[in-house]
Amino acid sequence: MPLKSQQSRPWAAALADRMDDGADAEQVAEAIVAIWLEIEQALHPIIGHRGVAALYNRSLHLTAVAYPWLAIDQPAVPAAIDPSGLRSALVQQAAAEAAAGGSALFDSFHELLASLIGAALTDRLLRSVWTRTSGDSPAQDPSP
Amino acid sequence: MTTKATINRLATRVPGLDEVLGGGLPEFSFNLIAGQPGCGKTTLAHQIMFALATPERPAIYFTVLGEPPLKMLRYQQQFDFFEAEAVNGRLRFVCLAEDAMTGDLDRVLKRIVDEVAAHNPGLVFVDSFRSVAFASESADSPKTSLQLFVQQLGMLMTSWQATTFLVGEYCNETDANPVYTVADGLIWLRQSVQRNSMVRKLEIMKMRGQSTLPGLHTFRIDHTGMRVFPPAQVVAAASAAPDAAVPGERALMGVPELDEMLGGGLPRGYSLLVAGPSGSGKSILASAFLAEGARCGETGVVAAFEQHPNRARNSVLVDLIARGQVGLIDSREPDLSIDEITLLILTEVGRLKASRVVLDSLSGFELALAPTFRTDFRESLLGLVTALARAGVSVLMTSELEDRYTDLRFSPYGAAFLTDAIIVQRYIEIDSRLQRVMAVVKVRASGHSDELRLYSIGEDGIRMGEMLPEQEGLLGGRPTRKRPHGLLAASADADGA
Repeated sequence: MPLKSQQSRPWAAALADRMDDGADAEQVAEAIVAIWLEIEQALHPIIGHRGVAALYNRSLHLTAVAYPWLAIDQPAVPAAIDPSGLRSALVQQAAAEAAAGGSALFDSFHELLASLIGAALTDRLLRSVWTRTSGDSPAQDPSP
Repeated sequence: MTTKATINRLATRVPGLDEVLGGGLPEFSFNLIAGQPGCGKTTLAHQIMFALATPERPAIYFTVLGEPPLKMLRYQQQFDFFEAEAVNGRLRFVCLAEDAMTGDLDRVLKRIVDEVAAHNPGLVFVDSFRSVAFASESADSPKTSLQLFVQQLGMLMTSWQATTFLVGEYCNETDANPVYTVADGLIWLRQSVQRNSMVRKLEIMKMRGQSTLPGLHTFRIDHTGMRVFPPAQVVAAASAAPDAAVPGERALMGVPELDEMLGGGLPRGYSLLVAGPSGSGKSILASAFLAEGARCGETGVVAAFEQHPNRARNSVLVDLIARGQVGLIDSREPDLSIDEITLLILTEVGRLKASRVVLDSLSGFELALAPTFRTDFRESLLGLVTALARAGVSVLMTSELEDRYTDLRFSPYGAAFLTDAIIVQRYIEIDSRLQRVMAVVKVRASGHSDELRLYSIGEDGIRMGEMLPEQEGLLGGRPTRKRPHGLLAASADADGA
């Protein structure tokens, strides 16, 4: 069942922050993969590499409904996130489509995690990724 | 002596647990939280962690195999004590599943030490420890390696000045498990199931350096987390008000003639048993007792255990409760323990500064208890009565009595010897009417009336009547008119006519 977005996620903004205007698909893929590695870094100490990878695979599966090119073959019992398949899929898209699909993938990962451990704890755990994304300024709540 | 090591005790803030532990957890101790699946080990560990972890004394919670961390976080955050903001701040979770899966205990130990060295926690939790043992067995490593692991962990954590908790399933407590020897503290959680009732119990099997309260202590888990119910006497001793009961003072019953019969009222701090058959007016007397207290500016507490409280309760009591002069304990929780009820009552007594307590009735009380406690009902009741006496309140208990005319009994629980005073109520048959009589059977260390007096129950409560000197055999239920001497034959004729 696809998870519906309850509120605007900061992931699109986070992604935009890391790219120059007019970035090509290669740069978009680079930025997205970098964020995934940071997410893994933030979460694996708590839920394990396998735990993160399982959520990642589930998110790919959910997002592939809207972005069929995200239907990437993944090992059924992953040992850790492997973003190489994602990177290959991203670079084959136009930059805008890659960015949209990449953001949607972050969103569904975020919603999936929030559905399991609650929004407060999810935000708490992923805060380090956002903080880093927005440079020196601290992470801001989305304005109402 | 100042040269001795000082052992600080950490207050877990788990209600009741610090009392049972004998004043909290010794700092830098190495503890086991053990028990069967589902008995609340992880919840207890989390509750302790959230209470004790501070920025100066951070905590690390290592999850090994067993419950996946995602699930654990999902369920633990349902408790009020769980603060998402604390995660990655004053406490952090570390998943060791992948290290444990290799079965290499040295690797697990190294990971723990690395994390501890990096974050310098004052509190370390390893959950679940049983899975560490399983992992090592499956890897065919010699069994001694587990003992070595635990010993090393214990030594390292103590040197790192970390209070440590191993959470684990240890189904067999009689096993000569090396972990038990190494541990300073052993907290065992149990679930006792009898028929449809389940009661959770906790035992401190070991706690080095301090004297704990022995035996099994019931606890309950709800949205606030765990609540332990220490023995009634301990709670009472802690909550006792020194000037609660002044010796010699009397609490009036609200029925003046009955006060006279008691020798001037019920001595303060006494427990009174009102025994009588169904409908004899025990609850009405109890209400009068509370109402009289309210009239004199005292507050009271009533613990009601009837099946249909609203139907059975009289308007006097309802008013008193509505006005806040009487606190009502009407616990509908299943599987109550006496200790829990005692705590409820004492808490309410403390809150209202109450001087009068009514338990209505003992039979209902017994039914409200989990079956597992019913066998010990007498002992538990003694504990409750003692606890209330220590708290200095005057207690009135009602006890339903089967109307048997062949013997004079006061309570099916042998509660009579527990109480300081007894009032008995009976039905008798006179002139084709069912009448009620009441007598004071006992008032410890006080003179009292030996009269057996008629009484009636009206709109305004209990009204005492006369004695029946003309009648004898009242307690047999079918009194006969006494016959004057010398008129025996004539009287016999008259009766026969």
